[in-house]
Amino acid sequence: MKLSDLVLETASAFDANRARSLLTVLGVVIGIAAVIAMTALIGGVKASLMNEMGMSQARLVEIYCFYNREMTLDDINAMQNELKDSYEVIVPTTSGSADITSSTEKATAMITGTYPAYETVMGVKMLQGRFFSQDESNSGQLVAVIDQSAVKKLFGNENAQVTGETVRIGGLDFTIVGVTESGAGAGYGDNVTVYMPLRTCQQRISGATAIGEVLGLAVEGADMNKVASETREWLAKRFNIPESDQEDSIYVITMQSMREQLDTLLGSFQLLMTAVASISLLVGGIGIMNMMLTNVTERIREIGLRKALGARRRDITRQFLLESVCLTLAGGVLGIVLGYAGAFALAGLAGGAFGMSEGTSITPVIGIDSVLLVAGICVGIGIVFGYYPARRAARLDPVESLHYQ
Amino acid sequence: MSIPVIDVRNVHRIYESAAGYMHALRGVTLQVARGELLCIMGPSGSGKSTLMNTLGCLDTPTSGTYRLEGLDVSTLTDDELAELRATRLGFVFQSFNLLPRATVLRNVVLPLTYTDTPKALRRERAEAALAAVGLPTAYFDHRSNELSGGQMQRVAIARALVNNPAVILADEPTGNLDSATGRMVLETFSRLRDEGKTIVLITHDPDVAAWADRTVHIRDGKLLTDEEERAYAQRSGSRGRT
Ligand SMILES: Nc1ncnc2c1ncn2[C@@H]1O[C@H](COP(=O)(O)OP(=O)(O)O)[C@@H](O)[C@H]1O
Ligand SMILES: [Mg+2]
Repeated sequence: MKLSDLVLETASAFDANRARSLLTVLGVVIGIAAVIAMTALIGGVKASLMNEMGMSQARLVEIYCFYNREMTLDDINAMQNELKDSYEVIVPTTSGSADITSSTEKATAMITGTYPAYETVMGVKMLQGRFFSQDESNSGQLVAVIDQSAVKKLFGNENAQVTGETVRIGGLDFTIVGVTESGAGAGYGDNVTVYMPLRTCQQRISGATAIGEVLGLAVEGADMNKVASETREWLAKRFNIPESDQEDSIYVITMQSMREQLDTLLGSFQLLMTAVASISLLVGGIGIMNMMLTNVTERIREIGLRKALGARRRDITRQFLLESVCLTLAGGVLGIVLGYAGAFALAGLAGGAFGMSEGTSITPVIGIDSVLLVAGICVGIGIVFGYYPARRAARLDPVESLHYQ
Repeated sequence: MSIPVIDVRNVHRIYESAAGYMHALRGVTLQVARGELLCIMGPSGSGKSTLMNTLGCLDTPTSGTYRLEGLDVSTLTDDELAELRATRLGFVFQSFNLLPRATVLRNVVLPLTYTDTPKALRRERAEAALAAVGLPTAYFDHRSNELSGGQMQRVAIARALVNNPAVILADEPTGNLDSATGRMVLETFSRLRDEGKTIVLITHDPDVAAWADRTVHIRDGKLLTDEEERAYAQRSGSRGRT
C-alpha cells in the first residue's frame, strides 16, 4: 500500500471515531502543552532576566572586588595595562545619589560616574545629543546625560528638547549634553538615571575615590570563561587575597556565567516539569495503546477482509501504526498551540514569581528546535504505543477474523 | 489440453482445538477448468467453507497438494500468498463484507491498493468492474451502507473482479438475499462465466446449483459425484439434503 492510500484510510478511520480519538489524545495534549508552556516560559524568563541585568552584550564582563579596600583608579589602570590581551577597554564606574532639580521639578538622581567608553561598552542608545566627551571627562566638567524618564519627570514631557538645558544636581549647575533611552526598571518611584564623568562624580558629588563596579569589554573572539578566570587571578594577586576568601571577595560575571547560573536554576525547575509531563505522556501513550487495541478488536472483520483482498502483514501494521502516529501527532500540535497560549497566560504570574520589577514583561520564547523535538516525541509515542496493537492486527488469522462476530 | 486453473489432490485439513481434532477435509481431489462455473453443495458443517478457504489461499491444507494455475501454493510464504490473493483471486462473501462508510468506488478500488496498479488506472478498472456487474454510475459515489442488499453484493462482485483474477470464489453469495435479488446476482455470475471467468460457488440451495456447469457434493469432508450423492441420499433416506 502506498503512503497516500494509508493517509486516506487513516483519515476515514478518524472520521469514524472523532470524539473517542479526541478524548484519548487528551493525555498527550496535556503532557505536550505542559512541556511547551514551561519551555516557552523559561525561555522568556531567561531572556528577560538577561535583559534586565544589562547583559545583552556577549563580550561584557562585570568586575567587582573588595578585600580590605575598595578598587581605585590605580587598579583600573594597572588592569588595563596588564590584561590588555583580554580586554579592549575597561571602564570604571562609581555611583552616588543627589537631589536633581529643574526650574520646576525635583527628583532623586541615581548617578553613575564613568568614562565616555561606557556608551559603547554598555551599548547605550542616545535619543538626543551625545554622551559626554573625553575632554569633559578628563577635566571633570559639570555635564550630565539623563535618561528619557528623567526628562519626563523633570520637564513634564518625555520628548522635550533638553540638551543645553541646565539642571541642579547636588547643588551644582550641570549642563545636559544628551538623553539616553530608559533602561529596564527605570522611571519608578522618584529616581532618575544620570550619567556624568567619573571625576565629576567623585570630586563634586560623592567626595570619595573608590571605584564600584568595573565594566570590561573583552577583545573580539575571546574565550569568555578564560577572560573571567584570568581576571579573577589577576585581582587575587593584586589584592593579595588568600584562596579561601576569593569566592566572597571577587565577582567576575560574564553573560556566559550568568546564563549558566540561570540555566542551573531554571534547569532544575524544568527537569521537574519534564518529569511531570513525562508521566502525563506515559499515561497518554497507554491511553493511545488502549484505544488502538479496542480499535483493532472492533475492526477485526475489516482486517480479515483486507487480508483476504491481499493485504500483507506489513500493510496492516503500517495502517494501524500510521493511525496511532497521526493521533499522537495531532495531540502534539494541539498541545503546542495550547502550551504556547498557556505560556502567555502564565507569563504575568511568573513575572512576580521571579522577582521581576514592575513594567518588565516576559514574552514566552519557543524555538523551532523545541517544536521539532516535541513533534519527534509525539511520533515516538505513537510508534511505541501503537506498535503492539498494530502487530496484533497484522498477525490476525484471516479466516477467523472474517468470521469474527 | 491446458492445465486446470484449480488442481487439488488428496487434500486433508485437520483442525486442532481444545475440543480435540476435527477432520474437516478428508482426501479431497478436485480440478476446475478455465471458464467453468462450478458449484459445491453440501449440508452445514460438511466442510464447504474449509474447502473454499483452502482454494482461496486463506488456509493451508494439513496434507495434499493445491496448484493454482500450475503453482504449488504450499511452498509460498505468507506475503506471497497475500500477493496471490491480491492478484489472482477474487472473493465474494455471504455477508458482502464491504467497508460500510467508504464509497462504492473506494470499496472496489481496495484490492488494487494492495497491488502495484498505478493510481491513474485504478479508478478506470473499478468503473469497468462496476459496469460489468451492471451497477448504475449514479451509485458510484454513494456510501456502501446506503445500498440495498442486491446492490451491495454486486459491488462485492465488482470488487472480486477488479484485479482480473484467475478464479472468483463465492461462499453462499445469495444466502442473505431474497430470491429475486439472488437471481440477479446469479445472472451476473452466469454472464461473467460466459465472458470466460472461472467461478467456484458454494451453496446448499439446489436452485442456485442449477446455474452451474457442474456440481460436486461434499459430505463429512469428502467429495461425491452426482451419482454417489444420489446413492448416498437414497441410503440415508430423508436425512439427505438440508
Ligand atoms: N477453526 C476451526 N477450528 C475447529 N473446527 C473447525 C474450524 N472451522 C471449522 N471447523 C469445523 O470443521 C467442520 C467443517 O466446517 P465448515 O468448513 O465451516 O463447514 P460448512 O461451511 O460446510 O458449514 C465443522 O464441523 C466445523 O465445526
Ligand atoms: Mg460455511
